Amino acid sequence: MSTAPLAAASVAPGQPPATESLRTTTDRRLGMALFLGSWTMAFGTLLLSFLVVRRHEEVWPPEGVVLPSMPLAWTATAILVLSSLAAHRAVAGARRDAARWRSWWGLALVTGLAFAWLQSALWLQVWSGGGRPADGLYASIFYALTWFHAAHVACGLVALAWVAVQAGRGRCGPARLSPLLNAATFWHFVGVVWLVLFLVFLVL
Amino acid sequence: MSSGAASHTMSGHDHIHPEPKSFLAKYIFSHDHKVIAKQFLWFGLVWLLIGGFMAMLIRWQLANPGLPFPLVGEWLYPRSGGVIPPDSYNTLFTMHGTIMIFLGLTPVLIGAFGNFCIPLMIGARDMIFPTLNMLSFWTLVPGGLVAFYSLFVPLGGSEAGWTAYPTLSTTVGTPGSGETLWAIAVFLIGASSIMGGINYITTIIRLRAPGMTWTKLPLTVWGLLFTAILNVLFLPVIGSAMILMVLDRVFGTAFFLPATLSQGGGGDPILYQHLFWIFGHPEVYILILPAWGIVADLLSFFARKPAFGYKITVGAMAAVTILSAVVYGHHMFTTGMTAMLGESFMLLTMIISVPGEILFFNWLHTLWRGSLRTTTAMWFAMGVIFVFGLGGLTGIYLATISTDIYLHDTYFVVGHFHLTMAASALFGAFAGIYFWFPKLFGRMLGEKLGKLHFWATIVPLTIVFCTMFASGWAGMPRRYYDHTDNPHTAALQHYNVITTWAAFVLGAAQLLFAWNFIRSVAAGRKAVQNPWEVGTLEWTIPSPAPYYNFKTIPEVHTGPHEFSHPALKDRDWIPQTERLPATT
Repeated sequence: MSTAPLAAASVAPGQPPATESLRTTTDRRLGMALFLGSWTMAFGTLLLSFLVVRRHEEVWPPEGVVLPSMPLAWTATAILVLSSLAAHRAVAGARRDAARWRSWWGLALVTGLAFAWLQSALWLQVWSGGGRPADGLYASIFYALTWFHAAHVACGLVALAWVAVQAGRGRCGPARLSPLLNAATFWHFVGVVWLVLFLVFLVL
Repeated sequence: MSSGAASHTMSGHDHIHPEPKSFLAKYIFSHDHKVIAKQFLWFGLVWLLIGGFMAMLIRWQLANPGLPFPLVGEWLYPRSGGVIPPDSYNTLFTMHGTIMIFLGLTPVLIGAFGNFCIPLMIGARDMIFPTLNMLSFWTLVPGGLVAFYSLFVPLGGSEAGWTAYPTLSTTVGTPGSGETLWAIAVFLIGASSIMGGINYITTIIRLRAPGMTWTKLPLTVWGLLFTAILNVLFLPVIGSAMILMVLDRVFGTAFFLPATLSQGGGGDPILYQHLFWIFGHPEVYILILPAWGIVADLLSFFARKPAFGYKITVGAMAAVTILSAVVYGHHMFTTGMTAMLGESFMLLTMIISVPGEILFFNWLHTLWRGSLRTTTAMWFAMGVIFVFGLGGLTGIYLATISTDIYLHDTYFVVGHFHLTMAASALFGAFAGIYFWFPKLFGRMLGEKLGKLHFWATIVPLTIVFCTMFASGWAGMPRRYYDHTDNPHTAALQHYNVITTWAAFVLGAAQLLFAWNFIRSVAAGRKAVQNPWEVGTLEWTIPSPAPYYNFKTIPEVHTGPHEFSHPALKDRDWIPQTERLPATT
């Protein structure tokens, strides 16, 4: 029977412990799973909305719209997929306490930033071609889709960067996996959402 | 105490953190679920007062069209000499609904009771993600501030109803920033509830004390669990709808603007209705499920009898949770859907009433031949049975397409949802407040004033909303500024007068509660550890609860409703931490 004293626990207040039990890791993974359930519903709603309003146009893409550059979009997609793969490699390495897992994590962050840069180039290309959100349905969907996704890319990049800093300080790693696992899972989610949206609206 | 220390796989959860010291850490940015619960409670009660006052303004205008509102009218509406202008009236009914649902009931039932009851009733020291918990409250506050601020922008606050249908809610229908700010406020409030929902579900799954199996959980916790699941799944839908609305209003996108309305248009206003009600219908179950759970527990506690049909009650709540996703079309029968689709929604809506009816009978059976202790909390719990019965039955008329086509947008609907949502959920909240007040504040809420509050509430409330069934049946439309300016509805004006008189009595009665609450927090009779003599875990610790909740994590051996068990000798209740004596 635990007779834990009422006095302070063994860790200083405000500092996360450098290790965590399997139980705590599972707790945080469950929280993350629920969080992603929420976000799946959000993106699902947007997808449904896009599909419904798209049916209002007989011809797709409609005549006269400023189309995003497909080579740019494909490149951005490929970079994002590579970023997810790097994150996956990093997590697998951390689980085994392999030598250079931090480098793979850094690669994931760098390629993630590259994706954000390419996405900005895509916006610049459409905007300088005269494309504005108020132009009609195609523009509405393009901007809404990419802005919403970009917001999550931003959050994902912040998470990747924060974990990178914490890993550098030894505050997370093989002995404390949940920050890595959760940030990586969120990043994979961002990637999967991009693939779905990209395929449904820019390819098909 | 058992020596089964090996059962403590709760490493990291059974040690006690040091007590916070600074004012900011203790009262403002607290990580303690009990403090956060109180923050939600005060926040919600203040907003309930504001929303209630708005209802008084609405009722005044309906019964006395064109007359200045007494006492504060001149100060509120100086440019019209104290008369509520038509656009302000629209803002009033819009904000009344928005405030009562999102800023009143949600913080009290889900924010306050979810936070306070879940860790204590499952035997945990706190929520599993205390920082997320703190963030949940501090995301709600900006939501409330934005909603409040929206009332003071140049073109006024939102006027499109809490449902905010386009094209009225587009920049064509409603120019200005009021509607945009409203959408942002709803988004922030939704984000707060999603955070809370993730916390509640994970906490209930992972932090139950040893021995607290799923079948020993109090029904309050079950209700809150189902609510949290619905919150996590369906709030993102309205969040997305609000984003699309803001994009339409601010950036000129065309999701909800039809092609006829603007050059860039081509979207679908009905799409908004789908998105809104895919969330909106589960939302009403989100509001009622905690109340159902609280009522089911309290009826057992104060009848000194086991809750009848515990597992069936849980099953009924689960059925409602699942079915709530597929009935939303009954809000859209007038949009021209195909007969087959309409009939499917009608059938499913009727089916979803069955679990509610099962709960109703379980409650009655819990009371039957019990030894009733008629405390104020018990009166409100029994009151829920009454108002939910009335409100629920009228839902059948609205589920039936043929009658709904006629009753849609009449006062019949207003009466229905106020009885089921406002009355039932609110009574559940009151019952919970009277019941858990001793554990929250270490004092008792005055019982005499409490009982007066109950009767002074339920009698006029029944008059207010049952009169609406009559006026709605006669065809009185909702969201009208003045029913006397055409002969058809002018003939029904007497209904408005009766409703308004009763509503003013109802409003005044809530001031009784406000007075009782504040006075008791400051100077109420000090509470003992277990004033209600019930067995759930929060009553095994002192009143008010200490910051660490349990000195040692309890071990649970008994269910929450073991009252009047034959084996119990000197008392009719047993704490969940004790074993029932063997019946030999």
